[in-house]
Amino acid sequence: MIVLLSLTSCNAQIKNAKTENVKIYGNCEMCESTIENAGNIKKVASVDWNKDTKMATLIYDSSKTNSDEILKRIALAGYDSDNFLAPDDVYAKLAECCQYDRVNKTAIVKTEAIEDHTMHQSEMVDEKVEIKQDEHPLKAVFDTYFILKDALVASNGTLASAKAKDLLTAIDAVKMEKLTSDAHTVWMKVMKGLALNAGHIEGTKDISLQRTHFITLSDPMYQLLKASKQETPIYYQHCPMANNGKGANWLSKESNIKNPYYGAQMLTCGSTLETIE
Amino acid sequence: MKKSNNTFYKTFFLIGAFLLMTSTLFAQKVVRYDLYVKDTIVNFTGKEKRAIAVNGQIPMPTLTFTEGDTAEIHVHNQLKESTSLHWHGLYLPNKEDGVPFLTQMPIEPNTTHIYRFPIIQNGTHWYHSHSGLQEQIGMYGSMILKKREDDPSYRKGIDDLPSVPIILSEWTDYNPENVHRMLHNATDWFAIKKGTTQSYAEAIKAGHFKTKLTNEWKRMLAMDVSDVYYDKFLINGTSESQLSQFKAGDKVRLQISNGGASSYFWLTYAGGKLTVVANDGNDVEPVEVDRLIIGVSETYDVIVTIPAENTSYEFLATPEDRTKSASIYIGEGIKQLVSPLPKLKYFEGMKMMNGMMNMDGTMNDMGMNMSLQKMDMNTVMYPEITGSPLTPKGGTTKGTMDHSDNSPGNTEMVTLNYTMLKSPTKTTLPEDAPIRELKFDLTGNMNRYVWSMDNKVLSESDKILIKKGEIVRITLFNNSMMRHPMHLHGHDFRVINGQGDYAPLKNVLDIMPMETNVIEFEANLEGDWFFHCHILYHMMAGMNRVFSYENQAPNPLLPNKAWAYKKLQSESNQWHFMVQNDFASNGNDGELMLQNTRWSFGTEWRLGYNDMHGYEAETHIGRYIGRNQWFMPFVGFDWRYRSMGMDEQEINLFGQTNKKDLRSALSLGFMYTLPMLVNFQAEMYHDGIVRLSLMREDIPISKRVRAAFMVNTDKEYMVGLNYIAGKNFGLRTHYDSDMGFGVGLTLMY
Repeated sequence: MIVLLSLTSCNAQIKNAKTENVKIYGNCEMCESTIENAGNIKKVASVDWNKDTKMATLIYDSSKTNSDEILKRIALAGYDSDNFLAPDDVYAKLAECCQYDRVNKTAIVKTEAIEDHTMHQSEMVDEKVEIKQDEHPLKAVFDTYFILKDALVASNGTLASAKAKDLLTAIDAVKMEKLTSDAHTVWMKVMKGLALNAGHIEGTKDISLQRTHFITLSDPMYQLLKASKQETPIYYQHCPMANNGKGANWLSKESNIKNPYYGAQMLTCGSTLETIE
Repeated sequence: MKKSNNTFYKTFFLIGAFLLMTSTLFAQKVVRYDLYVKDTIVNFTGKEKRAIAVNGQIPMPTLTFTEGDTAEIHVHNQLKESTSLHWHGLYLPNKEDGVPFLTQMPIEPNTTHIYRFPIIQNGTHWYHSHSGLQEQIGMYGSMILKKREDDPSYRKGIDDLPSVPIILSEWTDYNPENVHRMLHNATDWFAIKKGTTQSYAEAIKAGHFKTKLTNEWKRMLAMDVSDVYYDKFLINGTSESQLSQFKAGDKVRLQISNGGASSYFWLTYAGGKLTVVANDGNDVEPVEVDRLIIGVSETYDVIVTIPAENTSYEFLATPEDRTKSASIYIGEGIKQLVSPLPKLKYFEGMKMMNGMMNMDGTMNDMGMNMSLQKMDMNTVMYPEITGSPLTPKGGTTKGTMDHSDNSPGNTEMVTLNYTMLKSPTKTTLPEDAPIRELKFDLTGNMNRYVWSMDNKVLSESDKILIKKGEIVRITLFNNSMMRHPMHLHGHDFRVINGQGDYAPLKNVLDIMPMETNVIEFEANLEGDWFFHCHILYHMMAGMNRVFSYENQAPNPLLPNKAWAYKKLQSESNQWHFMVQNDFASNGNDGELMLQNTRWSFGTEWRLGYNDMHGYEAETHIGRYIGRNQWFMPFVGFDWRYRSMGMDEQEINLFGQTNKKDLRSALSLGFMYTLPMLVNFQAEMYHDGIVRLSLMREDIPISKRVRAAFMVNTDKEYMVGLNYIAGKNFGLRTHYDSDMGFGVGLTLMY
């Protein structure tokens, strides 16, 4: 009775009213409110969805809209109907209780999974840098630097702080007696600066502060890399925008630009200055 | 060259005839189209509006030719005004290029004009009116030039796919002449319609008060990625349509032209990646991307795949300002949608703009560090890349527990940029040819909507003379706040993009603010060729040049070229009129202005309802100086009458008295725009009286509320608030030192 009353009151506001019953896929009460909010437009369209029957009553002003427009809005909020399929990323973001069965979706033959970021980052956390005896004595330092750089590319302050700590550990663990004399000289010169800046990055989770320190961390790292032999080429790269337009550099194992000073904001901003081999 | 080609065709023709094949494929076929251009009434939004239809349709019919054909197009002008048609991206004799007053005379009403030219290229092109603003109201259409199957560049798996011409456009219910006039009067009505006023109230709410303050300190109006509010965006003339002839597994080649007058479009697809195979009618090596932006008047050929059965996939065209969109569903069955692009983070953009803009109104020159769309500064505004906007407290605006929502954004999405375009064949130019170096700064002034090159509009520039046989190399630096799609008629240019000998060929170059790009072309086609920004309203504001070949043969369609050039120049330096009046309880306040690129004629009046309040009018004739047009010297004439009673006299701050009740005075003075967009005006009258004043009328308090103030050395002052209720009217309340408190209705045009 109350439903009927509310319906008629809605009805009263909508001119040239046309009514249609359509199926909309969903699960629960949370779905109901999302579906109805997405479909409703004051004085133009009203949606009443029943979570048991999955049927919705659409009442709309036929001079202003049509059922397709309403169903498209509902699909863009994550809910399939017999006319529209919701975008996959929107469906994936629905609460767990709302993850209804998508019966209308035909399986795609080739699988093209959308890459998940959270996965990406947890993989990065698990990445352990093992120090082997026979390896280059500075390898751990360089490797942790690159992982720290990737954390800044991903704009993840927490991860960057953790990786800076790893870098500090790696700096402490360097066996100086195994360095070549060239590398040794440079190491003595830059060691303090490296540790200081890594410490600063560890000490904060503010990504913009971390990036500022990463500028001053990258310069001595570059000198160190130049003075020691590399198995794979390392790219010395430059972003003209960073450091308030003064420009800043970083080192990367990849030739294509992934900018640690802006991350996604300006991911591909920059150019390679030098390839160190 | 031509002769050897002819013998080549002839041989083929003979062999073809011998083998009893259809000769049409190889012969010099004349393909004729008859186009009837007529006024029509359209209804895109529920309101009936005037538009122009060709053969009864919008967009204009798709014209299809095969390389080697001769095109013969009969244009029957049934309008009440003149028209023209330009074949965008085609190599053709200059007199067929379709620019009125440059390559031909306008096609007058009730006359027929015949365009006839050989088709000597292939690819996706389009055609449009080059007269006034006709392109905005329907005069755009696809023009598909097919590659011959025996062409050495024929690509199996690409050129043999089913193809669909797609033309993008936009619709506004406003008369485009009025849109143009409003833009020149710095209206913020379009921003109100779009919800992008970026007022102080909105800035404070978003935690960006300081950003807004810096922005105004640097004398900038609210920034936007596009200027005009549109009611609808259209793919092939409609905002929703379906191509149900395609099935699962099919590959479809979309031949996309952007026929919009001023909108860039993002292209995305629900069925996966887009494979770009051609650009501006020229083949490129296939490149897979998640999305691309198509500049005004560019064309892209894109291959899409239909991944599953009984499903059609949304191909979505979203204008750069993301206010609305248009969709076409590819395939049969239920419609799989793609996520719409989220709203722009305007204040992030403002912050970025503040960083790039110098105090003198120029942009930082980044040299070649910024070029070819690879460093898109607008990305700071894209939530899908940089994450959802943060509230001042640091949490995301959405209160969900889902951590993926807190993600810093998507770093995996591949967006096309010009460095990714590579020609499949060498595009090198003759090595021994002389090189002509040219450099242009693209300049502009949002406040007065002046768009120019090297701070000169077309009416201030002569034709640029070039010689046949030389290589013209142009360095473009965009020193303005907007991106510009620069288009060259009659030639393709190489874009120097790091692909060396395989640099792609284009005829439109999108250049973003602060970018520097280099293009080069061989001057090999005699004539007068337009080089201009293809945003219609920028072109009409004067952002144009003409390249003219030295010692060229006369154009039979244009007997008096010198006179015609003057006509062309004046078309993009029109006078714009505005008037407004506040009918208030304490009097009438108003102004009237007539302005073009540099000159301004303006009258302001304040008319009381009794002699004591008085009546006064000030007229100024001034000229805007400099690139930013902050400085305007003027000559003025003031008239006023009032009766203040015997004892009352006005003494100004300098101790000068002004006794006359009836006063007419000539003056000399200047106006200067100060930081915070405050106008400082100094004026000296012929009787020695000096007046200085400070005023600002459009302080954006909230979305629709504007504050105003004025104070001067005659000890007069005014403060006011205006609520913008509609395009042409507002409600205003103000306090004036002469006339007291008043409320009223403001009408503006």
